[in-house]
Amino acid sequence: MRHPSRRTRRVTAALTVSLIVTAGAAACGPDDNDAKAGGTDAKPHKGGTLTVLNSAPQQDFDPARLYTSGGGNVPSLVFRTLTTRNREDGAKGAQVVPDLATDTGRPNKDATVWTYTLKEGLTYEDGTKITSADVKYGVERSFAAELSGGAPYLRDWLVGGADYQGPYKDKGKGLDSIETPDERTIVFHLNKPEGEFPYLATQTQFTPVPKSADKGTKYEEHPVSSGPYKVVENQNDGERLILERNEHWSARTDEERKAYPDRVDVRSGLDSSVINQRLSASQGADADAVTTDTNLGPAELAEVTGDKELASRVGTGHFGYTDYIAFNPKVKPFDNPKVRQAIAYAVDRTSVVNAAGGSSLAEPATTYLPNQKSFGHTAYDHFPAGKSGNASKAEELLKQAGYANGLTVTLTHSNAKDFETSPEIATAIQDALKKAGITVKLEGLEDNDYKDTIQDVKTEPGFFLAHWGADWPSGGPFLAPIFDGRQIVKDGANFNTGQLNDKSVNDEIDAINKLTDLDEAAQRWGALDKKIGEQALTVPLFHPVYKRLYGKDVKNVVISDWTGVLDVSQVAVK
Amino acid sequence: MASEGARASTETVLAPASGVRQFWRRLRVQRAALVAASVVALLVLLALAAPLLSAVEGQDPTTYHPDLVDSARGGVPVGTFGGLSADHWLGVEPQTGRDLFARLVYGARVSLGVALAATVVEVTVGLVMGIAAGYGNRWVDQALSRFTDVVVALPLMVMSLALLAIVPSGFPRPVLVAVVIGLIGWGSIAKIVRAQTLTLKQLDHVAAARLSGWSSWRIARRELLPALAAPVITYAALLFPVNISAEAALSFLGAGVKPPTPSWGQMLTSANVWYQAAPQYLLLPAGLLFVTVLALTVLGDGVRRALDPRAASRLSVGTGRKKEARA
Amino acid sequence: MKALHGFAGFALRRTLGAVVTLLAISVIVYVVFYAAPGDVAQITCGPRCSPAQVHQVAEQLRLDDPLYVRYLHFLQGVVAGHDYSTGTSVEHCSAPCLGLSYQSDQQVTQLILAKLPVTGSLALGAMVLWLLLGVGTGVLAAWRRGRLDERILTGITLAGWATPVFVIGLLLMVLICGQLQLLPFPQYVPFTEDPEQWAWNLLLPWLSLALIEAAKYARLTRSAMLETLAEDHVRTFRAYGVGERAIVGRHALRGAVGPLIALNANDLGSLFGGAVLTESLFGLPGIGRELVHAVNVVDLPVVVGLVVLTGFFVVLANAVADLLYAVADRRTVLS
Repeated sequence: MRHPSRRTRRVTAALTVSLIVTAGAAACGPDDNDAKAGGTDAKPHKGGTLTVLNSAPQQDFDPARLYTSGGGNVPSLVFRTLTTRNREDGAKGAQVVPDLATDTGRPNKDATVWTYTLKEGLTYEDGTKITSADVKYGVERSFAAELSGGAPYLRDWLVGGADYQGPYKDKGKGLDSIETPDERTIVFHLNKPEGEFPYLATQTQFTPVPKSADKGTKYEEHPVSSGPYKVVENQNDGERLILERNEHWSARTDEERKAYPDRVDVRSGLDSSVINQRLSASQGADADAVTTDTNLGPAELAEVTGDKELASRVGTGHFGYTDYIAFNPKVKPFDNPKVRQAIAYAVDRTSVVNAAGGSSLAEPATTYLPNQKSFGHTAYDHFPAGKSGNASKAEELLKQAGYANGLTVTLTHSNAKDFETSPEIATAIQDALKKAGITVKLEGLEDNDYKDTIQDVKTEPGFFLAHWGADWPSGGPFLAPIFDGRQIVKDGANFNTGQLNDKSVNDEIDAINKLTDLDEAAQRWGALDKKIGEQALTVPLFHPVYKRLYGKDVKNVVISDWTGVLDVSQVAVK
Repeated sequence: MASEGARASTETVLAPASGVRQFWRRLRVQRAALVAASVVALLVLLALAAPLLSAVEGQDPTTYHPDLVDSARGGVPVGTFGGLSADHWLGVEPQTGRDLFARLVYGARVSLGVALAATVVEVTVGLVMGIAAGYGNRWVDQALSRFTDVVVALPLMVMSLALLAIVPSGFPRPVLVAVVIGLIGWGSIAKIVRAQTLTLKQLDHVAAARLSGWSSWRIARRELLPALAAPVITYAALLFPVNISAEAALSFLGAGVKPPTPSWGQMLTSANVWYQAAPQYLLLPAGLLFVTVLALTVLGDGVRRALDPRAASRLSVGTGRKKEARA
Repeated sequence: MKALHGFAGFALRRTLGAVVTLLAISVIVYVVFYAAPGDVAQITCGPRCSPAQVHQVAEQLRLDDPLYVRYLHFLQGVVAGHDYSTGTSVEHCSAPCLGLSYQSDQQVTQLILAKLPVTGSLALGAMVLWLLLGVGTGVLAAWRRGRLDERILTGITLAGWATPVFVIGLLLMVLICGQLQLLPFPQYVPFTEDPEQWAWNLLLPWLSLALIEAAKYARLTRSAMLETLAEDHVRTFRAYGVGERAIVGRHALRGAVGPLIALNANDLGSLFGGAVLTESLFGLPGIGRELVHAVNVVDLPVVVGLVVLTGFFVVLANAVADLLYAVADRRTVLS
């Protein structure tokens, strides 16, 4: 994975995999009208070339290897999946809708078997028919070690998934838990109830791959398109991608992708400041340009807000994401809930938000779940610190905990320049805690080292900065990896930072997973978050806000709460 | 470049100036060097008095002032000239609102301190290796000289960056930075010391001392070191500003001292993006660094002229290693 | 004839010396990085790697072998190339093979080659500027010695010399990009794509580098010229009424050519090894920036490959400089 260049806020799922390649954030102005301010004729038309200016190259442009939320942005132009995200603004965009399939999936009674039927008349870029066997093959090849990179859910959920090695080993051996009774039907057998399976089916691993075209690790050079565009050129391992209209794609089978431009030119490996400057100048081809991975940094925002024309070309988006302080109660003195609570009271969220780029780029958080409906967000503030911290309450708690004369602790953070787990945030916390008599020593680690350290239960520090992003907009992938006691990983990447193993929490997670009514599930996730919050295993700090520039001739800007990013499949340049 | 500097300097057998008084006399007549010396003295004073000065101002380098920045506009300082006021003599840092004056004077401590320590390491290792090579037998000389050649050829920036990344973070950072710069940069001093030692060895009184059974240690201390003082001081004076640049460069790349310890190089990294929205945030540390390195360079040049007026014109500018620390 | 023989001998010795130094550098670098604490296979592979991949990397790096065997294997790759098995296919890494970067799925040599045009553009353009600026200043300084304009020029070059490139670069950026808005924030446009944009975008980095390099050249030119100008035959020319311009251009400058070439070869060599700071400051995707990136993510094969390569450029440049110096020296003596 690439190191974030300066000023790029990295949208990273806590699984250390960059979503920026696929999700990122951009957008429409403060309200929808701003999108229309872009051109004189607001109505989108077909034609033209859309330029995408990105910092991270589209490496691993293979549906098996991509780690996306909702199928990604540029990848979603080429790869269709069983289901996909709703391409609409705001909260509506956080819904899951059918894509290749006729519906979002039909579960059996306890949500352990999911059946999908493919639409009729689906073809690849060469006109051949897309079959359910191809979808099965696409899922299977993502199990191959050489095509790793995707999310871990398939391995955990599918019956027999844990031991399956992919189709290359044991020549042609398939995964028995995926059945294809006929050309259009596919059935998945899971080893436990998973009401959120439709969300999972948005990921690129559910893209059909024709077995005859599979070239293993070389497939990424020219993956076979099922979407509105096909890959014409792939230079320097995804540094430049040229996509052209796939004549065999039909809008009749695809209600989600608008595909206005005739051509999409993705140029990556650019410095983030260069991207923002080019978008701001908006000259030549850059007038028809967007970015799917580069936000405005604080300094750039300061410049942009002073310019009316520029400000009208800034899109704002919210991606389900939380930056927080994590405690490991196995390390003293954080075993004492009073110490954790004292820190929660002492935190100055105004300073932290400023360090993260100010109130336009970050919203203070008191809940672990992102402040969006689809996550089941339920407001709470168990340890009210106010705007700038409640030092006296913190001191009082410390006294009760036996630290009347103050306390010295070490805060571990990353040295990545991401304004998330970086030194800027750490020093803001250090300064606030000083007022409550807590002396904070900083331990800054190089980014990889930092991840290895916090994700290994043997080395996990007691007090550190962390963040978590949504694999899909629901409470499940947000709460389960962090608080499900059975997901504590002893020898590998562990995300249950508080090492919480509470039977009532585990049971409630199981119960919610059985629900196939996603609205009801969301409410229960929200309630669970509020309950876990009482234990002060984390101190939520802020939810980032994404602000991105787009070129002056760009129309039809749609930003969903699912990705928080301008959706390239909706953009028009004519 | 490495060999270029070395070539020029090994050719130069410096005549020891006769006494400290003569040195001062020669330094005093150089106007530029005098100005530079006063600037350096002022900077050292600033660094030493940093806690006192910021106390007079009523600020410290780490306290956040969220009220002094415009949060909605990315945290740009409120007010004119980057939030310049009677409380904050040079304004505040964007996003954090930390006092710039306090951060700059504390940053001077890091800059000067690390560079000084690195120079000490370079001189010490260079002296030991150089004397050992020059005074030892042919094999010792060959081995040490080849080794020195290799060290001189190691790319400074690249090596220190890489080394700083693999050392565990528990190690005190300023010390580490100084040691890394020092351990990679002693080569040129060792070369000069070796050349001088070879010449000195031939001199009658050293030979006599050897014949009369003095120990090597005693000879080194009594005969060699005093004679080596002039060239080593000259070279150290030239290395000092180079090390300032090196520390700033490493901090600039994020490999130097860690926050919240302020350092100029680190300030420049974060100021880099603010060149349009808050230019003074960038200009202040850049200007200070510029003045410091320039003053030290002019002073070093003056020291060289004063110690050996004849050689001054022949030596090309710099120590060779310099460029790399800058590019 | 004898002189040539002496020169050939010198050239041979110098070349051999360079090879030995380079080998020694590669040993030091290899040992320092691969003997560092930590799980080398895991670190090399990166945080995204599954245990199976880590295992494959461990095999490809031959971690079971003692360090010196691994080093020899590395050396073998540089000289003869390697074949790597990636599970589904065999990948050939032709000489000079510096290994595989598992974190970016690329051969280190390929990765470096892709960045070389950027660093090359930066170095060559800056060179042209610093030669013009440096030699020009030097000539002027010698010619108008002691006058006010000479002093100011010398002062400026000294200031340039004393400052790290990122300070000059940042100051230029505030002034030229920020306040005057004369130039865009630099981005790399390949020469083959648009030569005009290529030059336009690189102007600021070139200028920053040239300003800090020019001083050395100015000083060298000046002192070499002053020496020649003081010589008897020049004074004779002057007495015979040969124009001042001709004296400076034809005679005085000639003495400076040898050392100038040598210095230039050196500077170019180390710049080719990566202008770490310039590239980081201006976000130019060259070798220096790749190194910073590789160091940050601890991509060991890339770090080792780049440090060895940088060493190679420096050693090569030193050797070339010495040889050129010797050649130029001989010519001046003979003429």
